Amino acid sequence: MNANIHLIGLNHRTAGVDIREKYALSSLEAFEKMLVHGPVREALALSTCNRVEILIVSDGSPAAADHVLHCWAEACSQPVSGLVSHTYIHENEQAVEHLFRVAGSLDSMVLGEPQILGQLKEAYRKAVESGTAKIVINRLLHKAFFVAKRIRSETGVASSAVSISYAAVALARKIFGELQGKRAMLIGAGEMAELAAMHLLGAGIEHICVANRTFARAEELAARFKGTAIPFDALYSKLPEVDIVISSTGAPTAVIHARDMKQVLKKRRHKPMFFIDIAVPRDIDPDVNQLDNAYLYDIDDLKEVVEENLAQRRDEAEKASTIVREEVQAFSHWLGSLELQPTIVDLLSSGERIAQRELQKTLRRLGPDVPEETRKALEVLVTSLAHKLYHEPIVYLKRRAREEGPAERFVHNVRRIFNLDEETVPEDAHVCRHKPSSLSGDQICQDKPQ
Amino acid sequence: MGSVELLKLFVIGLYLAGTILSLSGILVARKSLRSVGMACAVAGFALHTFDMGLVTSQPGNSLTAGAFYYSLFSWLLLLIWFLAWWRLKLGFLALTISPLALLFYISSLRLAPMHVTTPPTLLGLFFGLHIGALFLALALLAVSFGAGLAFLHLERKIKTKEPLTGFRKDLPSLSTFDRAVHWAVAAGFPLYTVGLLSGFFWAKLTWGKVFSWDIKELTSITIWFLYASLFYQRMVTGRQGRRTAILAIWVFALAMLSMLGINLLTPSHHSFTAVPL
Repeated sequence: MNANIHLIGLNHRTAGVDIREKYALSSLEAFEKMLVHGPVREALALSTCNRVEILIVSDGSPAAADHVLHCWAEACSQPVSGLVSHTYIHENEQAVEHLFRVAGSLDSMVLGEPQILGQLKEAYRKAVESGTAKIVINRLLHKAFFVAKRIRSETGVASSAVSISYAAVALARKIFGELQGKRAMLIGAGEMAELAAMHLLGAGIEHICVANRTFARAEELAARFKGTAIPFDALYSKLPEVDIVISSTGAPTAVIHARDMKQVLKKRRHKPMFFIDIAVPRDIDPDVNQLDNAYLYDIDDLKEVVEENLAQRRDEAEKASTIVREEVQAFSHWLGSLELQPTIVDLLSSGERIAQRELQKTLRRLGPDVPEETRKALEVLVTSLAHKLYHEPIVYLKRRAREEGPAERFVHNVRRIFNLDEETVPEDAHVCRHKPSSLSGDQICQDKPQ
Repeated sequence: MGSVELLKLFVIGLYLAGTILSLSGILVARKSLRSVGMACAVAGFALHTFDMGLVTSQPGNSLTAGAFYYSLFSWLLLLIWFLAWWRLKLGFLALTISPLALLFYISSLRLAPMHVTTPPTLLGLFFGLHIGALFLALALLAVSFGAGLAFLHLERKIKTKEPLTGFRKDLPSLSTFDRAVHWAVAAGFPLYTVGLLSGFFWAKLTWGKVFSWDIKELTSITIWFLYASLFYQRMVTGRQGRRTAILAIWVFALAMLSMLGINLLTPSHHSFTAVPL
């Protein structure tokens, strides 16, 4: 791969939170614009609570990575020395592979979590807006999103819940199917139980009622979930109306007993009930699970589900890594064939510029009374002429690249022939060829093809 | 080999391919295999429909032949499976229904005609009310059997907190299987009742008595009582879940015993005999 792609970053594995917060980037657009100078042609920055990743495409100068580190430290008003021991620098294929792994959530703290892809898309959007994402980054990021999609659809790396609250929601779905129209009851108030209730609401549950020994706290929680508060003593009378019970009280003994649940289930005509007991000591009598149409999971059961799912995800990550490797190869191949692209673009732009310059000259000569139709026709004529003139060199370049692999030599010659890099040629350049003895070796080499 | 035999062989081939691909697609959790299996089953079903059309268009009482009964049952099983797939997304019923349909279709080729004295003018009525209604009810029982088995399997996994691995991860929810049992019982029991009553009526017309203590008749009555109990529990008391799933499985098992065991092995009004090889 000849393109110079660098990925410089730090993440939750290489830096503690104290370092990550110091070097987090706040204004990505401004930072990207700051980066795109000197050797750096394109740039994209991603900054989340777990990682900062800076992707650049440079002209191959070894100073590019240093330039990034200095800009990064400067943007955070921190010393560069603080970054050095925590950052990784990946080049070319390694950089592409790392980016694909980040997009596919294989590098995340929680393997397979979906947020990173959204964050990467947002970072890309900003880079496009700031004008620092061009041909290589555009293609690379689109490929990264494609890889993430492939990983998601072809492997189970993101298929199972890996948090207690999500595991509870996934189980509820396995019992009830869709959760629309279902009702839940939250007994007591614990952070994890509230989170589970929140996820259930997000999954479409119709209503949540809250029972707490302190009624004011129940009202406060009910207001947050747009549900209703019920007195703790009225818990049993409300149970027949609910499908899911999440319990997390600090009670030393069970709050819900199997013997009472028989009556509750009878009242609700044996429609299924799902109990999530997050309290320690447990709030719900374990015998409830023995009743027909009653399903009980306590905190240890849920932890086991999460552990199992994490192990499954790790197995699936192997498959995902194979996908990443395949796609890195495909991207490298594309990049190899793309080396012509900037030259072709430059060639056409140069032709258009010349055509416009000549058009303006002609229009000035014709005077101000030239009809609009004539002006437009002339414009079309010169642009089309420029494109046609450059058509054959472009075809030639593409053919050479196709037949002989990397077309660097031909690209170089074409750039020189058409002076696409707008180098100033010394007035006596011809002299140096004819009278080499009168010039230094450096001057001679300057004019030789590299 | 005549063209009809060739057609039947094609049907068997497609049903066999459909069954194997659907089962392996479910067990290895590969959607593409399931889709190809389904396509084979649909193609087999289309040819099977054509085959039945040929039989019904023949002159005489070919409709009352045992061969046609089993072929019809196989066809209805698939029809109901397609409906369950379409309405409840229960592709997983392939695990039970697809092998059953194949078994009955192959069996149908080995059965000799059963002698039933049927006046041609009443043939359609007899067929629609007795055979049609009963077989439809049994095909629906097959759905409740398959859904009931899946329900019990998934429920045991959830109750014992075992991890849901392999194809189990893709299984629909418990409530979907329960709804399938409910749907099949709600539609199946009235049909079974109509089929049974029309059978008694028919017996009075052809044999001069409503009930002749025939073993098939006794089994059918037992099945009706069990089916009625299942219907009552589901529709009247609103009972759901495990208990009704178990009962549905037993009712279906008894119905299959009656259909394969009694019809083939015991001497009764409903006996079929196998064609000697």
